[in-house]
Amino acid sequence: MSTMLEPTTRTTDVDRERSSLERVWANESGLRGWLSVTTHQAVGMRYIVTAFIFLLAGGVEALLMRLQLAVPDNTLLSADKYNQIFTTHGTTMMFLFAVPVMEGMGVYLVPLMLGTRNVAFPRLNAFGYWMYLIGGLFLYWGLFTNTGPDVGWFAYPPLSGPQFGIGKRVDVWAQMVTFTEISALCVATELIATILKMRAPNMTLNRIPLFCWGMLVQSFMVIFAMPSVMIASTVMLLTDRTIGTHFTNPAEGGDPLLYQHVFWFFGHPEVYIIFIPALGMISSIVDTNTRRTIFGYPAMVLSVVATAFIGFGLWVHHMFATGLPQIGEAYFTAASMMIAITSGIQIFCWLATMWTGRIRWTAAMHFVAGFFFIFVAGGLTGVMLAAIPLDLQVHDTFFVVAHFHYVLIGGALFPLFGGFHHWFPKFTGRMIDERLGKVTFWLLFIGFNLTFFPMHLLGLKGMTRRIYTYPSEMGWGPGNALATAGALIILIGGILFIMNALKSRKYGVEAGANPWDSGTLEWAADSPPRNYNFVLPPACNSRYPLWTPLKERIGVTGLRTDRREVLVSSVMDAEPNHRYPLPHSSIWPFVTAILSAVGLIGSIFSFQWYYVACVLATIGLLGWFWPRRKAEAEA
Amino acid sequence: MMPQHTIDVSHLRDYEISSEAPLWWGQVLLAAIEGTMFCIMIAMYFYIRLSMDMWPPPGIQLPREVLPAICTLLLIASCAGTYIASEASKKDDRAGMIRGLVINLVLAIGSMACRGIAWYQWNFKWTSTAYGSITWGVLFLHTLDVAADLIFTLVLVILLVIGHHSPRQRLGVHVDSIIWYFLVAIWIPLYVTVFWGPHIVGAP
Repeated sequence: MSTMLEPTTRTTDVDRERSSLERVWANESGLRGWLSVTTHQAVGMRYIVTAFIFLLAGGVEALLMRLQLAVPDNTLLSADKYNQIFTTHGTTMMFLFAVPVMEGMGVYLVPLMLGTRNVAFPRLNAFGYWMYLIGGLFLYWGLFTNTGPDVGWFAYPPLSGPQFGIGKRVDVWAQMVTFTEISALCVATELIATILKMRAPNMTLNRIPLFCWGMLVQSFMVIFAMPSVMIASTVMLLTDRTIGTHFTNPAEGGDPLLYQHVFWFFGHPEVYIIFIPALGMISSIVDTNTRRTIFGYPAMVLSVVATAFIGFGLWVHHMFATGLPQIGEAYFTAASMMIAITSGIQIFCWLATMWTGRIRWTAAMHFVAGFFFIFVAGGLTGVMLAAIPLDLQVHDTFFVVAHFHYVLIGGALFPLFGGFHHWFPKFTGRMIDERLGKVTFWLLFIGFNLTFFPMHLLGLKGMTRRIYTYPSEMGWGPGNALATAGALIILIGGILFIMNALKSRKYGVEAGANPWDSGTLEWAADSPPRNYNFVLPPACNSRYPLWTPLKERIGVTGLRTDRREVLVSSVMDAEPNHRYPLPHSSIWPFVTAILSAVGLIGSIFSFQWYYVACVLATIGLLGWFWPRRKAEAEA
Repeated sequence: MMPQHTIDVSHLRDYEISSEAPLWWGQVLLAAIEGTMFCIMIAMYFYIRLSMDMWPPPGIQLPREVLPAICTLLLIASCAGTYIASEASKKDDRAGMIRGLVINLVLAIGSMACRGIAWYQWNFKWTSTAYGSITWGVLFLHTLDVAADLIFTLVLVILLVIGHHSPRQRLGVHVDSIIWYFLVAIWIPLYVTVFWGPHIVGAP
């Protein structure tokens, strides 16, 4: 379509547009209004805040484990409590913190970066959040009623199967996974549709900010990985436990190893689902704070895409100790080493950007530097673990624990903290205290290395994972004491971070729209953004639209402001295609989530509750989709 | 800081009933999610086959061919109704949409009836070895998806009959066709796996 329009001098009455938008995008007041919110900033922030609360919970669990292990023969926690706590820790961090917080950052930032007003499916977005929240509360309800899962965050049968996994603990885990996966799939679907179809005019594929590229690739990974864990946890594990199927029962032709395959076909991509958005955050922080365009944009995009593809071919390296055919093991060793190449390319691109730029050492940049150090160390142990002889030796030891904490905390948590400091002015309208931010960084950095580096050595000395205590003759005492000391330093860093965020939110210096002088479109919106983001949505003329002179910038007019309308553009070149009214806010996503939850939680007791879930969810969806009165149906 | 130059998009259409609509993409992604799920189920079917000596195991009769074949043919035929409805939605032809969706519903419900009768004739349940588990698992998941889409289609028909055919419902009819084509298309490999599989990869 040849709709790429010629710019003309602005004639629109901006103030009138603004007041009309304020009215149409306003959220209703009261409890009902609060439950009905579908604007992406509010939903994104709910994701982020909820995820940070779960991070705190997971952190407390980690601390309890560290205290228990600090000295030999400790009796602070019983073996049973310890099992529940380490399982809940892993489950919380993977399912309730890492993925949702990345989704939340995406939901918040992607529409702003693309220059649009909301995500493509705002009600689905709200529904996803409520499902996530209910799933999280469900897990903690289990923990507090002594029904916390106790079989590890991947719940291998036969330990988790009907024979050994007695009680409802495993069922709580299995169905909690369903809630969080539904939520992740909702966000993935809406972000892909948003990124492909709702970009600012002229934001061609090779002008999309790298964070949005990251979210796009991550969302596709979610689409292809999450169904796998739903099959593992509900189709295989839960039905084996509730209605007597035999997927994991070798006596009847099933196979516990099949569960491991299906689980890790999700579980390995999951690592990249967490890590790839973090890469996007690093790119945003680095280009802003080196005052130059990112080095090697095409190489960056291609290596993110390649990471996603290779990420689906690695899952068996979690299963090297299960005695698989050697030809298969050799393939997965090669693939596991190959993924270091794509990560390496990106690190060299960032280094080149920093080398040739003029670095401003903000708190966010500190976290990026910390990422380089920690992630590269984790990557190196990753290459070591890809070698089968070494893997067999240290399988299920603290060496592995050290490795994946280096990769996940270094690769995702440090960039996330950096991103949080970087975008804090956008979220709140106020600057975060940079000095406290840097102190936070050093506490976390030192505490992290002190906690997790000794674990490499403990693993090499034979200390296995998931033991609740150990006799002093093993000689593991000093390493564990050191690790616990490190954990306490992390705790101080965490408290400082929370205090800084709460204090700066209220008393920080007012930030203005673009305090860092960044180049991407989220900084063109007010801080914090209005519900509609932009009075005149921007058009895009380069990768860094805000680094072009003001007189060359172009805005979009002609979208209706008497309803929630957005511009839909073409997939490749982002040519304006049509206008598209988004649905208004609605209580029904919340109601549908509650109704579905009743059935899904019931299903851990009896399969029949699935039918209840179907009927109740249908009622919810009817309310959701039923056309309103004529005026609203047209609006 | 407002830009001084603007492009005006007010002349663009407000709705597009085609692959340009974001909802179309949402629906394609839903198909991708379900497609992934079914591909994994097929992989599981053959994986479990490898760990059993007899397929199907002794005492379980081979699935019969006739009814499932009729069921499959009816499903494929029902796409004609979907096609009529989706073409009509682009032209805002309310009668055409209703006609197409009703054809779709009638043939699909007929197909599901055949499926139900075929199940009734089987002599095994999901608790009869892993063979029973995976076979019933595949059929249950597909039937669940089909049922969900048929309910959605039924709701669309009711909306159209009582007079709602704004672009929002028309787009609904159009994207409904995406997921229906997908459910029929994915049924073909599932059908081949579940009903021909035991003949192809089964031991004596």
